Amino acid sequence: MQASPSPAGRALGRLGPALGAAGAVLVLWYLLARSGAVAPGLLPSPAETAAALADSAREGTLATDLGASLARTGQGFALGAVIGGALGFATGYLPRLSAAVTPVVSFLRPIPAVALVPLATAWFGIGENAKRLLIAYAVLLAVWLYVHDGVSRVPVSHLRAARSLGAPLHRRFTEVLLPAAAPALLAALRYGASVALLALVAAELGGADSGLAYRLQVDGQFLRVDRMFAGLLVLGLLGVAADLLLAAVGRRWVHWSAS
Amino acid sequence: MSLEVRLEGLSVGYGAAPVLRPTDLVFPAGSFTALLGPSGCGKSTVLNTVAGFVRPATGRVTAGGTEVTGPGPDRGVVFQHYALFPWRTARGNVEFALKRLGLPRARRRELALAALAEVGLADGAEKYPAQLSGGMQQRVALARALAARPEVLLMDEPFGALDALTRTRMQALLRELWERSGTTVLFVTHDIDEALALAGRVVVLGGSPGRVLADHPVPAGPPDPALRESVAARLTTP
Repeated sequence: MQASPSPAGRALGRLGPALGAAGAVLVLWYLLARSGAVAPGLLPSPAETAAALADSAREGTLATDLGASLARTGQGFALGAVIGGALGFATGYLPRLSAAVTPVVSFLRPIPAVALVPLATAWFGIGENAKRLLIAYAVLLAVWLYVHDGVSRVPVSHLRAARSLGAPLHRRFTEVLLPAAAPALLAALRYGASVALLALVAAELGGADSGLAYRLQVDGQFLRVDRMFAGLLVLGLLGVAADLLLAAVGRRWVHWSAS
Repeated sequence: MSLEVRLEGLSVGYGAAPVLRPTDLVFPAGSFTALLGPSGCGKSTVLNTVAGFVRPATGRVTAGGTEVTGPGPDRGVVFQHYALFPWRTARGNVEFALKRLGLPRARRRELALAALAEVGLADGAEKYPAQLSGGMQQRVALARALAARPEVLLMDEPFGALDALTRTRMQALLRELWERSGTTVLFVTHDIDEALALAGRVVVLGGSPGRVLADHPVPAGPPDPALRESVAARLTTP
């Protein structure tokens, strides 16, 4: 690497290996589909997948499904991240509260969100609320845990220094606790975004009339493997996009951190 | 400008484990005292109690006649590991201390730069702590603590993590700043030579739970080998 590459050069430097790997996967995929090793109809080629994607875009189902899934994920993620973040700050800062709450979280955490789909359906029906809440719940637990950990690791000397410099509580929160926990908060949001996608799929498979995972299920029933590949591709890209976005925000916000 | 600090029957303990036996000490306004002792003798505990970070088990601490009930800007603290905010530049760290004064932004900036210049760090004002050496970071921490115009300066092994040369320089700087500001200084160290070089009085703490083993004035002038020997003797006695 050069001593000081341009921003575009740096971005290329970061993305270069990723693009290379994606290209290699595409080539392998193409060769495997062409080789005939897999029965035709079970493994569509990259071109067939792209055509299936274009078809669903033309028919309008892609936009409908993407819109429905994005709305659910976005709303559920926002709700879960806000509540989980607030709880993480509270329990991370107040050890007594943490001692009371940690056993409950330890019990709930190993239960996968998929296992809660039937219960969510029983309680909230098959409407949007059940899906939003399921996603929010999964994100909440993930974000809570990460933020709690980050806040409880804020050096006590930072908080002491702030107090002895006469900073009142609101300044200690916004000017010390929040930036000190920012790297953990960012990691929490990135992890939460990936959890949100998992919960989205679980929620849509549990009953929906639109959405990326709902479409996968429908295409599966008709053995439309090319459409399923297209759907999986979109889901994967969605996850990558969310992560890149949060990472970019993080680089601006947590500029002092080495990572 | 400076306050008298008194420990009145002060003892400190966490639960059943006492850290400091009941202790009476007076630190006159404007004095420079070293609290000397091995680790675990309660010297940092004394400092943290004066700072208001730790509550006494019995007795009390007063600063300028007022009982200490919590941390406050009248008692500045310099920590062993600097405790600078890594997300703020050197200037930003000093400005943090100035914020409570409600000054206009430009004035705050001006004062912060002046405080950094005073510790010889005018050039590093816009650098982040991670870009500064340990000695420079401790200079920033000193500037930050002094910018708040404290009347008592509490220092917990502030130079313990520095190399010998940087340490000597920082000691000279601290003496100079103290002579100029007249602040009451409590300086915790386990280094007998540092204590004798800096302070006008050395209080030796030791034992577990800790107590005062010796209390010596340090006359100005060249080092006194007899005094060093007598302090060292107290330091090694259990």
